[in-house]
Amino acid sequence: MPSEVERLRRGMRVVSSAIAAVAEATLSSQTLLDTLVRSASEVIKDTCIVMLATPEGPKMASVYDEDPVLLEVLRELYAEPMGPAAVYTNHAMQTGKPGFYPAFDLESARERMSPAMHATFTRIGLQGALLVPMRVQGEPYGVLVVLRHRTRHRALDELDLELALDLANHAAIAISNARHVDALRENAELRRAKEELGRANGFLDAIIENIPDMVFVKDADKLAFTRFNRAGEELIGVSRDHMLGKTDYDFFPPEEAMHFQGMDRETLRNKVLVDIPEEPIHTVAGKRWLHTKKVPILDESGTPRYLLGISQDITNAKQNQQALVDAKERTEAANKELEAFSYSVAHDLRAPLRAIDGFGQALFEDYGDRLDAEGLRMLQRVREQAQRMATLIDDLLALSRVTRHDLTPERIDLGVVARKTLAQLQRMEPERTIDTHISPSLLTIADARMMAIAFDNLIGNAWKFTSRTDRARIEVGQVHIDGERVFFVRDNGAGFDPQYRHKLFGVFQRLHNEKEYPGTGIGLATVARIILRHRGRVWAEGEPGKGATFFFTLGEPEDV
Amino acid sequence: MKDKIILLVEDNPNDEELTLRALKKSQILNRVVVVRDGAEALDYLFTRGAHASRPSSEVPQVILLDLKLPKIDGLEVLRAIRADDRTKLLPVVVLTSSLEDQDLIKSYGLGANSYVRKPVDFVQFVDAVKQLGLYWLVINQPAP
Repeated sequence: MPSEVERLRRGMRVVSSAIAAVAEATLSSQTLLDTLVRSASEVIKDTCIVMLATPEGPKMASVYDEDPVLLEVLRELYAEPMGPAAVYTNHAMQTGKPGFYPAFDLESARERMSPAMHATFTRIGLQGALLVPMRVQGEPYGVLVVLRHRTRHRALDELDLELALDLANHAAIAISNARHVDALRENAELRRAKEELGRANGFLDAIIENIPDMVFVKDADKLAFTRFNRAGEELIGVSRDHMLGKTDYDFFPPEEAMHFQGMDRETLRNKVLVDIPEEPIHTVAGKRWLHTKKVPILDESGTPRYLLGISQDITNAKQNQQALVDAKERTEAANKELEAFSYSVAHDLRAPLRAIDGFGQALFEDYGDRLDAEGLRMLQRVREQAQRMATLIDDLLALSRVTRHDLTPERIDLGVVARKTLAQLQRMEPERTIDTHISPSLLTIADARMMAIAFDNLIGNAWKFTSRTDRARIEVGQVHIDGERVFFVRDNGAGFDPQYRHKLFGVFQRLHNEKEYPGTGIGLATVARIILRHRGRVWAEGEPGKGATFFFTLGEPEDV
Repeated sequence: MKDKIILLVEDNPNDEELTLRALKKSQILNRVVVVRDGAEALDYLFTRGAHASRPSSEVPQVILLDLKLPKIDGLEVLRAIRADDRTKLLPVVVLTSSLEDQDLIKSYGLGANSYVRKPVDFVQFVDAVKQLGLYWLVINQPAP
């Protein structure tokens, strides 16, 4: 039976190449099943189907027939799971025994299949059928079905059954392997995803860990710490191993813990961020101040699960702010004291002087005729000195007024101020002739009253120190030095010894004797203070007998 | 002119004596009533306390008021004078030591008619008192 041998050889070739294909096709179970039906169809003929066990009953997983039209018909026929109606398939699946029907009696099988199936099988002229069960890892997996219907082929025989069994066995092993591979691949993918997630988490952890503010997370239920970063450890002075799982009550004074948790609950209840600009916290290192923001973390259903907190340590900023407030209060207190002192000086220090002068004058008037010339001279001295003291007090009060009074900066022309001062001096000493030069435009922004006091002193000095000068000259103007606008008051009077220039602006400092040039030594100190309050500088140049020039700049007047 | 009374509110005996001397030197011979603190000034003006028995027809032509006074200070006295119908039209001259802004502003704010600083130089003081007397006792026409 050469044809028989030939069929066997061909069958074995197909089976082995199918196995090779199956082995290569372990990429997926579906590819494997497709290969199986195609190989089986080629070697056993005609139609091959793989039915798989599913909870809904046997379901076609792959089908092959050389006729594409029939293939489509079959695909449609087996589109849905077959359920208990698939009597032959179910039998093979459940018993694990092959069904071998070389001469299938369609007529007697009518009750054991669906009408559509029966109609199709009748139409194609089904002659025989083979149903070989496949088991994978000891469990029913599916059934390889062979339908022979083309008249040109002989009836199914034992050899066909053996070939089908071989193919089904190999396929079952390959499927088993494929499942392992799939499982391995799934594991590998899962592992990769986990690693990816791990890396992403690690990055987030590193970010949270390195945020320079305290970051903490509490669970919404017990408000126990579930996360804590390094800045938090440093701030609280407790390691996270000790923090995690515990609550505020384990670390902070009860009323403080109550405040913290109260804010936590509020945040979780309202489901909105809560900003706490300032809150004290008592740590092992002492009291600190925090600026804290609390954020509710909700799950998909909108239920608060966690509380995220971010706290910035604002202790230093707060201390600085407090220091500023303290300094301001001290300054205000000092100013108040100065005010009270000045008030007392203005009222109380002058009264005795009035008495000295007044009774001196009374003495002169009532008893002058009983004093000789020396006595009268001494009495005159007493009165002179009382009046000088009064002038000193007035000048000192003017100086302190310059410090005490608020500045009102406005646009003024210093030339106008200077002209007023000169006019006043001229009225008091109409006999003096002085050559004056005032630059036309000395517009600036300054406190008008203060600048008038400064000019009263500067121009008053120039007026005084030119009293013994022929052709006296006073000049008020401006120059630019290194791009900076500098005002000046210049005279050609007595001048001063430059080696004492540093003493010019000190209180009670005088460079001339009282007899020649009377004065209290307070005027230039007053000028210096006015310029200082305008954030400017003042300095002088001069030489004995060659006059003096006083320079000053004006910055932005200080804030009130 | 002699029946016109000057009320001098002054606690300092030196200033009191010098003021009286200055008035005399200026030929102002009116009667001067001296009260030595703010409380007494108000007692006199409202005819009460130690001054309850004075004739109520006696109304000062001008009040020379010091600011720094024991018990009730000058500004409070001024406030009380201006707040009472019996005294609110009386001319008040603040006669004091200070030239501090706050004193000037408050005095005028409370309705002072004049503000004069006592000069230390007695000659100037006499001159100031003379002008004051001339103005308030002779030139100025008081409210009816």
